[in-house]
Amino acid sequence: MSLVSNLFLLFVAACVIVYYVVPSKLQWLVLLCFSYLYYIAGGVRYLGFMLFSTAVTYLAALGIEKLEEKGKHGSAKRLLIVGLILNFGMLGTIKYTNFAVENLNALFHMNLRGMEILLPLGISFYTFQSSGYLLDVYWKRCSAEKQPLKYALFVSFFPQILQGPIGRYSRLAEQLYAPHRFEGKNIARGFERILWGFFKKMILADWAAVFVDAIFGNPDQYSGLALFGVLFYTIQLYADFSGGMDVVIGIASMFGIEMDENFKRPFFAVSITDFWHRWHITLGTWMKDYVFYPVTLSGWMNRFGKWAKKVFGKKTGRTLPICLANLIVFFVVGVWHGAAWKYIVYGVYNGIIIAFSGLMAGQYRNWKKKLNITGKENWFHIFAIVRTFILVNISWFFDRADTVGQAFHMMKLSVTKFAPSELLLIPAGREGTAFTPYALLILAVGCVILFIVSFLQERGMKIRETLSKRSLPITVAVYMVLLISIGLFGSTAVARGFIYAQF
Amino acid sequence: MHNFKKILKTLLVLAVCAAILAGLDLALYPCTFMRNDIHSVTTRQYDDIIVGTSHGKMGIDPESMKEITGRTGHNICVGGEYGIDAYYITKLINEKQKPKRIIYEVDPGYFVTEKEEGNNYLLFYHEFPFSRAKLEYFWNSIAKCNFRTVLFPWYEYSLSYELPKIKETFTKKVTGDYSVSDLKSDSQEYHESGFIERYPVDVRKLKKSEPKLYEEGMVNEENMGYLKKLIDYCKANEIEFVAVTTPIPIDTLRDYSDNYNAAWRFFGEFFDKQGVKYLNFNTQYFKAFTHDLRAYTDYDGHLNGQAARDYSKVLAEFLK
Repeated sequence: MSLVSNLFLLFVAACVIVYYVVPSKLQWLVLLCFSYLYYIAGGVRYLGFMLFSTAVTYLAALGIEKLEEKGKHGSAKRLLIVGLILNFGMLGTIKYTNFAVENLNALFHMNLRGMEILLPLGISFYTFQSSGYLLDVYWKRCSAEKQPLKYALFVSFFPQILQGPIGRYSRLAEQLYAPHRFEGKNIARGFERILWGFFKKMILADWAAVFVDAIFGNPDQYSGLALFGVLFYTIQLYADFSGGMDVVIGIASMFGIEMDENFKRPFFAVSITDFWHRWHITLGTWMKDYVFYPVTLSGWMNRFGKWAKKVFGKKTGRTLPICLANLIVFFVVGVWHGAAWKYIVYGVYNGIIIAFSGLMAGQYRNWKKKLNITGKENWFHIFAIVRTFILVNISWFFDRADTVGQAFHMMKLSVTKFAPSELLLIPAGREGTAFTPYALLILAVGCVILFIVSFLQERGMKIRETLSKRSLPITVAVYMVLLISIGLFGSTAVARGFIYAQF
Repeated sequence: MHNFKKILKTLLVLAVCAAILAGLDLALYPCTFMRNDIHSVTTRQYDDIIVGTSHGKMGIDPESMKEITGRTGHNICVGGEYGIDAYYITKLINEKQKPKRIIYEVDPGYFVTEKEEGNNYLLFYHEFPFSRAKLEYFWNSIAKCNFRTVLFPWYEYSLSYELPKIKETFTKKVTGDYSVSDLKSDSQEYHESGFIERYPVDVRKLKKSEPKLYEEGMVNEENMGYLKKLIDYCKANEIEFVAVTTPIPIDTLRDYSDNYNAAWRFFGEFFDKQGVKYLNFNTQYFKAFTHDLRAYTDYDGHLNGQAARDYSKVLAEFLK
């Protein structure tokens, strides 16, 4: 059930109505029923995987808590490991078996047969969410949930199941289980957010996708457009993913539930580290809390740090373990994105830049000092934003291209060939190339609107709050214009699903 | 009192929004020939209803058939009409009148391809009057489409084409004008019977194109499912069901003989199993009508107007 389908919107409307009609103590049960309905509608065959993940982490968390209470820390740790192996094992088997088989075949000239495995909807998201909960219980950041059905809701909450955000038990669960009174402003705020998400998805992402698919699908035919290909992909990916998040967060807020934000104007980032604090935030914080810190604080890393200090001196020796931990984190980020080398390269590329930045931090400071740059200059701020934008765009080549080889080929084309007029040869929508100039104009205007909104938000302006202070006719007119613009200027090409829903 | 005001305000806002959307729909959704077709079949009684694809639309003229059979008929075929559409059109018609016969024009290519969402459903759904069939059709088609199909059904139509026609479109809809005079172009003309007459072309200038081809083992289960449902529905409602495949130019039949032979075999067996009469003018009735390209307007097999009238009379003879 696509987030943009009539059926989904009817489904949400029905859920909202039932949610506020039933007695408040049953509200969480309504969410659970609708969440499972939603999941089953996507394919009943996927249900077993989610039930498995839910049952394993629920039982393991209970066990861990009991063992800890009895002071059996070692057994609790062993149970945690078993729980994590089962949970991640399921994800790994389903998602990465064929990738492993392909590589074994290629490496050792074997002829192993791949498995015909279906990829369950949202598995990467709910596996990470439930594993995070298990670790939180182990680290005593939260208590284990005693009620299995309540815990099942935490894992399956329908707006977020397909593409996140990856929720934390400590912040999400209480809101899911708490009763909520009907408040018109929650519905209105949710509606506004959903509308903004659809605007981004249907006007920006879907039009950009037309050009991205054409350019990346035929790199040699549109060889002069490689640079545009990646720039359009930036628009597509951001508008698609953040638009999807707007829809998800908007729906949740209709139930009075405030979900974690996943984006914070990422293209205003001044470094790759800053970018990852603004892009797919919940994945980034998950990695920080459950991979980065445990790796950094582990015994072997401690030993590595001591060794590094001896060999490379105090400064570098202190930085090296952090660099290594970052490399590991981004390797995992790459693997999380998909079973292909291009994703691993994408992750490692980000890790290398962050690690390199860490190692060179001292040098940067010295250079800035010599050049009299304090870092507060406007020009330097813009320079840092543009530099980060370029570095991020390089990474998108790996993310979007079919293979690592194609990514390098496209990169080469982007600096050796440049023919913007070829854009007009790409058919856009049902009217072919005749509509291409209009599609480009729509994209340009849409990007300007998105930029202005992001810029104002970056300067601290709360746009929705500002708008809500205006008179009702003005507010309604603004949202009506936004809504109708989706009809007037939305992509007429074949409708697409959300990119991150496939993870 | 405060709550009442709030509710009133909300309702007012919703009413204004709905009115704006309805107004845009009236002005921007074009008056298609399907509007005339659905209006005709839901307001008048016909003996024969012809459903199917563009080959049927341009190949079967109910008026010519009437000269032979004496039975009234309406052609509600259109390019992009799949089994699901034909099924719900038939249900709608049966709700509004009681046709005696459904003539299903079978294009094998439509059974191996998937129907594209959006406009292809809207073409029919938008014109359906409120009915049980409309609700069922919504649930099984429009519901899975993106929400623009409901809020902005005009979104896939070219605004550059529709904007200059706003006044005309609006007036036609508001006044209930179903005249067909403007439903013609340089190459074709729509008739009140639902038949589209294609003007003859210079066949020497025609370029070969690959038609939607049937491929063995690639049959779309959903499409076949709706065809089966349609047959069962007709049987249950005592409506005669006849399947027809219109003639195809001999050059095309030769070029893709493997695909066509597999298709004729598959559908021959299928209709035989269903106990349905199947008139295939490319196999057992091959000689009943010409396959010479001069009778067609393209290699795909769309007949020209005069040939279509002649063919309709031949078909009527078999259906008498």
